[in-house]
Amino acid sequence: MLWIALHCPALSLDWIERRFPAALIPAMAVTARKGNQSYIQQANKPAQERGIAAHQTLASAMALFPGLVVVEQDPNEEMKALQEAVYAALRFTPNIILQDSGLMGEVSASLKLFGGLKKLCQLLNRAVTAQGLQICTGVAPTARGAWLLARSAQPRTVVNGTAARFRLLLDSLPVNLLESAQPHLEVIRGIGCKALADLRRLPRSGLARRFGPDLLAELDCAYGDSPDPRKWFAAPETFQQKFRLLAQVENVELLWVPVQRLIEQMCGWLASRHAAALAFSFVLHHEFSLRQPHKSTPIDIRLSEQSGDSRHLMLLLRERLERAKLAAPVCELELIADEIAAGANANLELFPSAQSETTSLNRFIEKLSARLGPQAITGLKAVPDHRPECSQRFEPLETEAAGRGKTRRTKEKDRISRHEIIPAELPRPAWLIETPLELKLQRHQPVYGSPLKLLAGPERIEAGWWDDALIARDYFIAENALGQLLWIYREYDPIKKDKEGEDKESKDKKDGDKGNKDASWYLQGLFG
Amino acid sequence: MPAASPSLSPVPVPSVSPLSLLQIEARFKGRIWRGDALGSAADPVVSSGFDKLDKELPGGGWPTRNLTELLLNAEGLGEISLLGPSLEQITGKGRNILLVGPPYIPYMHAWENLNIDSGRIVMARVYKPAERLWALEQGIKSAAFGIVIGWLSQVSQQMTRRLQIIARAATSVVFLFRPVSAQFEPSAAPLRVVLGSARQHALSVRVLKRRGAPAALPIRIILPPTRPFSSSAGVFSLPHNSSSHNAVDRSSLPGTVA
Repeated sequence: MLWIALHCPALSLDWIERRFPAALIPAMAVTARKGNQSYIQQANKPAQERGIAAHQTLASAMALFPGLVVVEQDPNEEMKALQEAVYAALRFTPNIILQDSGLMGEVSASLKLFGGLKKLCQLLNRAVTAQGLQICTGVAPTARGAWLLARSAQPRTVVNGTAARFRLLLDSLPVNLLESAQPHLEVIRGIGCKALADLRRLPRSGLARRFGPDLLAELDCAYGDSPDPRKWFAAPETFQQKFRLLAQVENVELLWVPVQRLIEQMCGWLASRHAAALAFSFVLHHEFSLRQPHKSTPIDIRLSEQSGDSRHLMLLLRERLERAKLAAPVCELELIADEIAAGANANLELFPSAQSETTSLNRFIEKLSARLGPQAITGLKAVPDHRPECSQRFEPLETEAAGRGKTRRTKEKDRISRHEIIPAELPRPAWLIETPLELKLQRHQPVYGSPLKLLAGPERIEAGWWDDALIARDYFIAENALGQLLWIYREYDPIKKDKEGEDKESKDKKDGDKGNKDASWYLQGLFG
Repeated sequence: MPAASPSLSPVPVPSVSPLSLLQIEARFKGRIWRGDALGSAADPVVSSGFDKLDKELPGGGWPTRNLTELLLNAEGLGEISLLGPSLEQITGKGRNILLVGPPYIPYMHAWENLNIDSGRIVMARVYKPAERLWALEQGIKSAAFGIVIGWLSQVSQQMTRRLQIIARAATSVVFLFRPVSAQFEPSAAPLRVVLGSARQHALSVRVLKRRGAPAALPIRIILPPTRPFSSSAGVFSLPHNSSSHNAVDRSSLPGTVA
C-alpha cells in the first residue's frame, strides 16, 4: 500500500477564494467562535499585508482594516470544495478517502501507468492545486501515516516517507498532530512527550489507561501495526456540478479557470467510471432580475466520438464559448454529463493506426464545426444525374464513431460504384461554378477574359423534366487566351424539337421560352 | 569539384589524417551537398505521377512535411489533373484529403474519373482569410489527412513560415495554391512551382524554388487524357449531334412518373 495524502491547510479560505477571479480576490479572513468572541482563524494574503493575523479578535481586525471581508467558517462549503478536488483526483486512483481538511489516495496500483511515484505525485498535486486549493503532501505506506506527514509538511511541499525513512519521520512528528491527543495535549506536554517517539516509548497499558484507547489505536494505525479500514469515496452515478462565482463575470476570459476546473472534475469522474462523454451540457446562469430576463445560457455539446480527454473537451467548449455572446453577467456555472459511454479513450494507443486516424478526423471535424459552424465542413457525394446542378450534393461528413465495426462496411458502400459516375468519355470539369455565370458576348462570341475559342462540343444534356428543374443545354469546351479550359453551355431550345414532334412530354415546360437566336452563353465549370 | 582537397592539406594535425572528399561527403551527409546536384531530403515523398516532374523534384516527388506552393494565374489550367495521380495514390491508401477554401465547387464526377475516391474528400468551406489559415493549420496538425490543399490569395511571409513550421511536425503533403503574382514575394515554402498553360492540353511547370540546383527551364507536362480531345479534332459544328446526346436514363426516374 502506498498512500499520498493531501492536506489543505488553508481550506477554510480556499473554498471561497477559488470562486473569485484571481485578480479580484479581496482581503478576507475566516473567523471562529470561542466563547462569546469571534477570533480570526485565518487571513488571506491581502489581509495579512494589512496586518491581520490569526488569533486576533474580530474587533481588532476590523479596527486594522475596516474593509475586511469576514467569512464564518463553513464546513459544508469546505467539504464541497474538497469533493470537487476529489473528482479531479479520481483520474489518478479510484481509491480516495475524504478527510476533514484533505484527501488521501491509495496509489500503489497507479504508479506504473503514470510513470512512477514522483511523476504521479506531481500530477496529483497539480490536479488538486488547479482546483484552487493549497496543499501539502505526505507520502507513506499507511493512510494515517501519510496524513500525519502531510499535516506536518510546509505548504506546497512533499514529505516523502517511503521505505526506511517512514518510521524515522513519524517518530519525529510533534504530538499535537494526533487527533485523539487533542484533549490531552496539556498533560502529554506535561509528562515531557513532544514527539510521537516519546509517546511510543511509554508503556502501552499506562498510556491506554491515561488517555483512552483511541490514542494507542491511532498510533498503531499510523505506524502500520494494526489495520486501518477506511471508507472509499464513492463517485455518484451522474455528474452534475455547479460552481457559484462570487463575482459578476461579463468577460468570457475570466471564465476559463473555473470552466477548466469543471472539465477536469468531469474527466476525473469519467475516468473513475471507465467511461467517456458522448454529450455534455454547460450552462451559464445569470443573476435573475426583472430588468434582465435571461436566466441562463445553455451550451450543449455533442461529440462525434466519446472522449474523456480534458484537453479535447476544453477545446470544444472553448470554441463554443468564444462564439457565444454573454447576454448578461454570469454568476454560476454548471456542467452536466448528459450522456456517457463505457470504454476508454482511444488515445492510449501506442502506434497511430487507421483507428486513430478516424479519431483525428472526427476531432478535426468537431473542432472546425465548433468554431465555424457545421456547414463549414462537408463532404461531397456524387449523385447519378446528368444535370451538373443535381449531380452532387454537400453531405455532412460521416463521423464514423457510432459503431467501429460499421466503419468499413459503410465506407465500402459509400465508395460509389463505377456506373453511378458519368463515364470518363464525357468530359466533366474539375470545378463547378455554383450558379452559372452569364458570359458577355462580343460579335456573337462569348467572352471570358478574352474571346473564347470552342474546342469541343456540343454535348447535349437534357434532363429533369420530371422534377421541375428541366435543363436543355448544349455544352462546349472552350479555351481563352490565358489557357483556361472552360465548360460553357448554351440553352438549347426544346420548342424546335417539339415542332419536329418528338418530345411531347416537355411541352408544358416550354413556357420559359428562351428560343432566340443569340442564346446567352453560360460558364459552368473549369477544367482544373 | 575535383578531388584534390586531401593533397592540399599538409597541415600537421598529428592524430587526424586529412579526410578525402568522399569521406567528408559521407560524414556530413545531409549537411553538405554539391552545388550542381538536386537536393535530397530525408522526408518521404509522394510521387507526382509524372516522371518528368518527379525528376525535377528533390527526392523524386511531392515532399511530405513541407509546404509546396503552386502558383497559377487562374483556375482551370489543369491543376487538379496535375495533382490527380498523387491524390489518387493517397485516397487509394485510405487516407483523406482536405480542401480548404476551394475557389469553386469540386465536381466529384470528374474527380472520380481521375480515380480519386470522393468519399475521402473533406471540404472546409471557409472564406475569411484568418479562418482559412486557421482551418489550414488545424488540417496540417491533424493526423487525418494525407494531403492538405489550401487556396490562399493573400498570405504574409510570416504566415507561410508559421505554416511551414507546423508542416514540419506533420506527415501530410501540403499544397498551397497562390496567385502567380506571389512569385515575387518571399516565402518559406521549400518548393515553389509556377503552373502555366502550355496549350495543346499540357501544362508548363516551372520550378521556381527547390532544394539544390535551381531549375533552368520549365517542363511541359502532358496531362492524362481526361478529355476527349483526341476524338475532337475540330468543333462539331452540327448543333444536333445525336451521338453525344444524353438520353434520359429512365431507370433513375421516380416511380410516380410513369
